[in-house]
Amino acid sequence: MSNPDIELMAHLMRRAGFGATRDELEEWVAKGYEAVVEELLYPTDPQNLPDDIIRRYHTEQAELRLADGAAGYWMYRMITTRCPLEEKLALFWHGLLATAYNKLNQAMALLNQIDTFRRHGLGSFSNLLVEVSKDPAMIIWLDNHDNHKDAINENYGRELLELFSMGIGNYTEQDVKECARAFTGWTLGNVEYMAMRASRDSIWPYSRIAWHFEYRDYDHDDGEKTFLGETGRFNGEDIVAIIARQESTAQFVSARLFQFFAADEVDEDGEKVIEEMVRSYFDSGQEIRSILRTLFNSEYFKSEKVRFARVKGPVELVVGAVRLAGSYRTPTQGIEQVARQALYMGQGLLQPPSVEGWHEGIEWVDSGALVERVNFVAHEMANVRNPGVRRIIERLAAENGGVLSPEALVDHCLELLGPMVVSDDTRSALVRYAAHEGELVLTGHQPEDESEQRVGELLRLATATREFQLA
Amino acid sequence: MSTHTTQVNIRLEYVKTIGLTTNNTGRGFVNPYDTAVSQDGRIFVLNHSDSARRAMMRVGICSWDEEYLGEFGKGAGTGDDQFNSPVAMAFDSQDRLYITDELHHRITIFDSSGNFLNKWNASGSGPGEFNGPAGIAIDGQDHVYVADQHNSRIQKFNADGSFITQWGEAGSGRGQFNLPWGVAVDSQGDVYVADWRNDRIQKFSPDGDYKASFGEPGEGDGQFYRPSGVAVDPEGYVYVADWGNERVQVMAPDGSFQLNLRGQATLSKWAEDFMAVNPDEHRTREMANLIPNLPPHLNTPHHISSQTEPYFWGPVSVTLDREGRLYVTEANRHRIQVYQKK
Amino acid sequence: MPNNGKKRALVVLQLIGANDPLNTVVPYSDGLYYDNRPTVGIPADQVLPIDDNFGFNPNMGPIKSLWDKGKVAVINGIGYSNPNRSHFRSMDIWHTAETDKIATEGWLGRAIRDLDPTGDNVLTGVNFGRGLPRSLGCRGVPVASVGNLETYGLFPDVEDDLKKQYTLEAFAQMYGASQGWDPVIDSLGQTGRDALKGADILRTAPAQYSSTIEYGPSPIAQSMKNICQVMFADIGTQIFYASYGSFDTHGDELAVHGKLWQDVGGAIGDCYADLEEHGWQDDALIFVWTEFGRRIKDNGSGTDHGAGGLALLIGGSVNGGMYGQYPSLKEAEQLDGDMRANNDYRSTYATIVERWMGLDAPSIVNGQFEQFDFIEK
Repeated sequence: MSNPDIELMAHLMRRAGFGATRDELEEWVAKGYEAVVEELLYPTDPQNLPDDIIRRYHTEQAELRLADGAAGYWMYRMITTRCPLEEKLALFWHGLLATAYNKLNQAMALLNQIDTFRRHGLGSFSNLLVEVSKDPAMIIWLDNHDNHKDAINENYGRELLELFSMGIGNYTEQDVKECARAFTGWTLGNVEYMAMRASRDSIWPYSRIAWHFEYRDYDHDDGEKTFLGETGRFNGEDIVAIIARQESTAQFVSARLFQFFAADEVDEDGEKVIEEMVRSYFDSGQEIRSILRTLFNSEYFKSEKVRFARVKGPVELVVGAVRLAGSYRTPTQGIEQVARQALYMGQGLLQPPSVEGWHEGIEWVDSGALVERVNFVAHEMANVRNPGVRRIIERLAAENGGVLSPEALVDHCLELLGPMVVSDDTRSALVRYAAHEGELVLTGHQPEDESEQRVGELLRLATATREFQLA
Repeated sequence: MSTHTTQVNIRLEYVKTIGLTTNNTGRGFVNPYDTAVSQDGRIFVLNHSDSARRAMMRVGICSWDEEYLGEFGKGAGTGDDQFNSPVAMAFDSQDRLYITDELHHRITIFDSSGNFLNKWNASGSGPGEFNGPAGIAIDGQDHVYVADQHNSRIQKFNADGSFITQWGEAGSGRGQFNLPWGVAVDSQGDVYVADWRNDRIQKFSPDGDYKASFGEPGEGDGQFYRPSGVAVDPEGYVYVADWGNERVQVMAPDGSFQLNLRGQATLSKWAEDFMAVNPDEHRTREMANLIPNLPPHLNTPHHISSQTEPYFWGPVSVTLDREGRLYVTEANRHRIQVYQKK
Repeated sequence: MPNNGKKRALVVLQLIGANDPLNTVVPYSDGLYYDNRPTVGIPADQVLPIDDNFGFNPNMGPIKSLWDKGKVAVINGIGYSNPNRSHFRSMDIWHTAETDKIATEGWLGRAIRDLDPTGDNVLTGVNFGRGLPRSLGCRGVPVASVGNLETYGLFPDVEDDLKKQYTLEAFAQMYGASQGWDPVIDSLGQTGRDALKGADILRTAPAQYSSTIEYGPSPIAQSMKNICQVMFADIGTQIFYASYGSFDTHGDELAVHGKLWQDVGGAIGDCYADLEEHGWQDDALIFVWTEFGRRIKDNGSGTDHGAGGLALLIGGSVNGGMYGQYPSLKEAEQLDGDMRANNDYRSTYATIVERWMGLDAPSIVNGQFEQFDFIEK
């Protein structure tokens, strides 16, 4: 039953996106792996649920007064996009350049930041860093609006070096100071009023006022600076250019991309791939796209040992389940609850716990989170009204005239849900469960009848497995 | 639609702003979607609210002098005075208020004290059944016109709920609709429909015969992007809530473009009360330029309005009163900007 | 320290949205109160008097009764310097016991860790609500979040008993003992088994519970009932968390705030009566907190965000009384129109952590803070 092309494509879609249905996998496989990688790397027409429709039926996503509406909007993008890498990469940058609602009280500024990741996230890293330095949400988040010519605030300067590029040990405290000096004057329009409103969480008098970047030349320290051994009257863009040239930056970006897209743990073979990614970074002029191309096309990435080597983060799990189930493709009351589920599981969109983002890997799954994870996915996949579930039922009904032994039912479901690879214990538990009611006859099935419900019940269990927690 | 420069015979002068954000019951508005004025001049505002504040769906009432007179409606629910997604409302000649709910698929009728009178509650596609009733308008003979958005039609009823006629089907041709939203009636009894996703206003006779179409997709003069509301004054000027372009446009009776309004809100009386008690916010607000220059990538009307507080943001409906005053109801700013026709 | 074998319970009730202290404990003899609050001031003849100067909000009857028995401590003027008036930020400051930087560990999460260092009991801390409040968050510390105690656990959608049994059996088999070849798979297995066990244990609590107390209908009353059910089931839970709101009364304050305290007061009253009926009142401490106070002047309909606030401690082992200073309303003593805090919230935390839970306070609350005497020795 196993088809190596399908399995490889499923692996790519789990990593570069949020997984794929069997129909989607067959479409992708027909194009060829490398062609698909290119298509993913050049997102052109996401065809997601249109903004006008969303805003008419979701007032909270039109006004964006609170994080809930914004998280719901991003959920729609992730669920309905035909360019999944664009959204997955935005999620990656969001976890790395982590900016949180709770200090900003400005949801639209955060969505605008996520959009910056869409527009610039695949291009040159130095360009992305410049855009991020100008991003109003980032400026308020790391207090750069308090960074003045005559009163330096080092917060952004420090985190830019420590968390967003080179990492500790690759620069000195003096470099931090000089870096901060270069970003003086990089602030928001009407910053006094905006910062006041942020600190008071003000929605008065007439709801929120969104933010835009403003450069205040008079507040900029344009004196000579020495940064990482280079000297000049550096402004922010110059600092970013120097940072982006560093080997440590290339190493940092490549390693983080590796851990997000390839494997939670980096082994010896992984180190070699990271080295290749570093070379791509420099050869391509620091293009993120090139790094990812190198990774996705590497033998390492395509090999069996990297399959299921990541624990799905909550957003990944939630979006993946919804895409598989085919729900929430049109304006649906309760979309913000879908984002809330990911919050309950430990990953709130637009609410990273700190500028360090989230701890990924096995830490995602403690006993409280596991209950939430299992229950959410079970709820979507057991619902035989969901279009994606109906599609699975149709495909099952086409097998062997719709007559399926417990083993066949289990094996086909695992195939259509992934394909999933499970241990013998897992498989035998699923077979044992299916066998309680014997052979399944789907021929002539009617919507929501008992035979369909049995499929939903098995899908519920199959996605409750520990294997399903992995990507 | 005429494309040459025509004479502009109408002027709209900004008068004031009424409203204030609130997250509670009481004074203030919560994503208002429509305004209607009773015969005694009280201003009724339909609070559509949002998913985080479903308990706040209600109708608020204030006087012209901005005294908050009260409210009725008890948030989200299936009760007679509850809602799921209230969209629009209109008074009939007896000062009865008809409110549409696009998720309950019903029209609920209250008296002007907020007492429940009656409801028309049937979902489906047959006569008298609804699938997403949105805009509503009532003519001088108390004929009620409802934009039945997912059935792509206009339905016409008597005040007692008896069905008269219907017209429309899905599409972009004459007499066809794509998620129609607002409805208005002029002094001749002709019916105007904000044909939302067709980016135009269509005009019909009281029996549903097609008469004219105004507008085409775009952001230029006389062009619309997702118009959500329409109103017609006694002289036949047509006011359009050009929702997607975050503005209001006025057309002459012949459909020629007259003027655009972008919005110029000032502090309302309730907003001034707030500022009086929060001097630090007031002080920093005074320092701010509320109409700033924006970077090029924030160039859609939605973005611009989100950053420019005086501009319309989410102007869902336009309402006219007997004094020639235009009320623009802004869902995202929880206020109504009032203009006087000259 | 407990001498009857019972482990002490801490019930933390968060009032979300910033409860208005001036209308909770009303300074009804102070003319400035009425000068500043022409719209939302509570008339002197309506308050429930504590003494000649202060009285409780008229809707706090059950709390007043407990006050009269000496079981209620009021911490006036609680807060921290450089008050933050943004809900989320200030809540995080309270959750993480850290005012100067963004921290990620919650004080209660650390307390759970110290109460159960080896993590033997995944139910040491239970949140009654969805989503983990940051107070309870701490790396490596599992906390159950129970939206509905009766249906808590895996697969609540499965209603048929036999199907439920088969489903859970399958789950147990799928998350069975380690295979040893993949640490991630093994860890997931352990987590799954813990989740099953925790849910099984929690679900027994309502079944074992019997009481004559009729709780009110509000969600907070139901949460308090669930808390008592779990407490009396004696499964080792020591930290119980619930929240209620929204107290963010920018508008329509008198009506909204009054109703909220009717609900909260009633819930606390019902809960205390239940504790007494089951002999738990001396071993349980209820701590009620909120993220900041509200402005002295009203805005014509309600009040806006302020600074110094109020907290409550209720329990059989509480030394009832007023603690901290009731902040002055005089203009010269205000902080930008707000009440000045005069005691740091971490003093209250430290008192609870050390004198109630018997743990090391400084490591949990990030420093040394002077403690209060509201716990009986």
